[in-house]
Amino acid sequence: MSKKNLSRRDFLRMSGTAGAAVAGGLSPLANLSRVAAQSDNTINVLTVGDPWDLALQSVVDQFTEATGIGVNIETLGYTALQARLVNAFLTQSGDADVIAVDQMWISQYADNGWIRSLDDFIAADSDSAIDDFVPECLYSLSTWRNHIWTLPIASYAQGIMYRTDLFEAAGLDPLPATVAEAGDWTWEDYFGILDQINGMDLDGTSMYGTTVIGYQPVPVVHMYTQLSASYGTRWFTQFPEAPWDFTPTINSESNVAALHDWNRLYGWSPPESINYLWFDAGTRFSQGDIGMFYHWTPYFYLVNNEGYLTGTPSPVVDKFETAVLPTQTAGGDQVVSLGGWSLGMPSTSANQDAAWQFIKWATGAEAQKAMGQVNVKGYQFADFSRKSNYDDAGLNALYPFLGTQLEMMKLGDGKVVRPPAPIYTSLEGVYGLQINQAMTGAVTPEQALETTQTLFQNILSGNQMIPYNVDSFDDTLDNTKALIASLSSM
Amino acid sequence: MQNRYSFKRRLPYLLLAPSIIILLALILYPLGFALRNSFWFWNLQTSAVPLYHSGLDNYRMVFQVTPFTEALKNTLLLAGLGTLAQFWLGMGVALLLHTHLRGLGFCRALLIMPTTLAPVVAGFLFRYLLEPKGGLLPWLLEGIGFPLPPQGILGYAGSALFAIGMVDTWQWTPFFAIVLYAGLLSISEEVKEAAQVDGASPWRMFWSITLPLLRPIAAFLVMIRFMQLFNSFDLVFVLTGGGPGASSRTLSFNLYREGLVNYNIGLTAAMTWLVVIIVTVIINLYIIFIFRKREW
Repeated sequence: MSKKNLSRRDFLRMSGTAGAAVAGGLSPLANLSRVAAQSDNTINVLTVGDPWDLALQSVVDQFTEATGIGVNIETLGYTALQARLVNAFLTQSGDADVIAVDQMWISQYADNGWIRSLDDFIAADSDSAIDDFVPECLYSLSTWRNHIWTLPIASYAQGIMYRTDLFEAAGLDPLPATVAEAGDWTWEDYFGILDQINGMDLDGTSMYGTTVIGYQPVPVVHMYTQLSASYGTRWFTQFPEAPWDFTPTINSESNVAALHDWNRLYGWSPPESINYLWFDAGTRFSQGDIGMFYHWTPYFYLVNNEGYLTGTPSPVVDKFETAVLPTQTAGGDQVVSLGGWSLGMPSTSANQDAAWQFIKWATGAEAQKAMGQVNVKGYQFADFSRKSNYDDAGLNALYPFLGTQLEMMKLGDGKVVRPPAPIYTSLEGVYGLQINQAMTGAVTPEQALETTQTLFQNILSGNQMIPYNVDSFDDTLDNTKALIASLSSM
Repeated sequence: MQNRYSFKRRLPYLLLAPSIIILLALILYPLGFALRNSFWFWNLQTSAVPLYHSGLDNYRMVFQVTPFTEALKNTLLLAGLGTLAQFWLGMGVALLLHTHLRGLGFCRALLIMPTTLAPVVAGFLFRYLLEPKGGLLPWLLEGIGFPLPPQGILGYAGSALFAIGMVDTWQWTPFFAIVLYAGLLSISEEVKEAAQVDGASPWRMFWSITLPLLRPIAAFLVMIRFMQLFNSFDLVFVLTGGGPGASSRTLSFNLYREGLVNYNIGLTAAMTWLVVIIVTVIINLYIIFIFRKREW
């Protein structure tokens, strides 16, 4: 066996080769070339870490079995997903064929040409059963300027969860589960109940009336805007109806009243809820010392867990019911916040036909039902967007609250409660900060909203949205219904 | 002969040139790019490309639409007090390590551990430790009768920034301690013995011998930590998200919000330049003050 000394030149050569191999393996360029080398029979899907993603991953093999198309799913956090997508779109280096899209991103993605409209696919494919979608979901999550850009995979409305055992102990009647039962159910009634149950003792536990989601800016805006929309608050002088006028109206009397009442809600909540994220509030209810609260509808099933998606039954299982939201005045108008996630197709996707097959399948009634029937740490997907899923007896047996949820969906308007106008996130950032400031007591609700009004004005003017010199579109639910009808009849 | 002499004279510059060019390109190009963007209206929420030249509008908007002054105040407070606390606590630990007591070798090894944690990990750790309902620290503090805000330490505007500073101090005091301890070891025993012979008290020896001899190391340490703390982001992001209100918002968190959440590239570039100017002024004043009459 010959023994050869390693020369400096050999060492450098070997190091260089090894370094290049490592760098090549790790670099995004190598990643891209791997993607490019994939056959048309595999698609890359970028999703977000929400409950629906777990359900989707559990059933995705069914898609591959049915179509022969392989699916690579990569799940990211909310901010990481947006950063990755924007970066990929700007550098035209996207490796995804299907992406999860927040409703607030659609105007940005569509106007910049980063995602492609699905109108042609829908029109050419009768299987898409577009008319089976709850129109409010499609309107709120997927449309922009009279085109359908995405299809909803998980739709969320907002509704109430309350402790039935506490209500019994307090001698209170059950809350209305349908709009028809709601009659004169108002926010003042809601506050009256909170005042009564706050501080009550239930089996040795001192109860808080409710809990808020106070973390700024995004979580607090999600919860607060439901209350303010119920009070009739609108963000702009005219949107989404044409012509668009983004002059802010955020310091309206209705919003001042709402922010005062929001502070009352905080007064009946655990003081630390000023720092609560969505799941903190849900978890707090599931731990048993909250009497009643309102939240996004996924929490109708998530609160069955002691923690977020833990699968460990919470102490409130079978001790709570769901109810519809109250209105500001007896029998008055209601607007419900409607949010969620949808699937879209980047313009850069090289596998557009396969991507469309996946979007159609994942948002279809059959796959949605299969997702609802997944039992991993409990049944944890009921965020349906299709009417047929709400009519399904099997799903109703698993999720008895679906009737209430659908009632809230039908009152949903995602374009009014949190208008998905361009630069929404900038507005949300300052709005959430000011609501949170008002909660700390550092400023009054009037001062907070006056500041918000000024900041909105500055941001909107600075971004050339006041006056708005671009074409408007009459973005109403009726126009979405007409679009659905026209695409269905092709 | 003349040519050879001239080549020899220029050789060092020629050899240094590539490094200097690369260094300048790496520093100047990004700053120049940011400076250019700061005068353009470029918001990725509305357009993928810069739309038009907007003069000083972005600089004006920094003050009009972001809590810049509040963030600046918080940043200066955090960086100033944090550095001061870490320096003196670190000095105390370094002096203790220098006493050669039994078991201090083990302590030295233990000391480095917090510094090796990623700030995000330290943030999550303390988020749980500071949890108002069941967190260890509130439980201990309440146990000794220390009054805590009902919103929790992280949920109260008067204590959120303090909590961030405390976590950073927990993590970085050992770094000061170890470096200062190394400095203490380098001080000549003869100098100390001479002072002792002259009858100097330990207090006098610390102020007149130890501290002046540690000055070059301490000055750099303080400068580096101040700059790091001035750029605090991770702990703010994990512990408070800048809240409640804007009570714990820092400049870096502001930059993150505008750049990576609101995607306003022009505004973020303008804010970046304001931060660069502020840091440069502070550091230069510090250098002038600390290193006056000294070479560095």
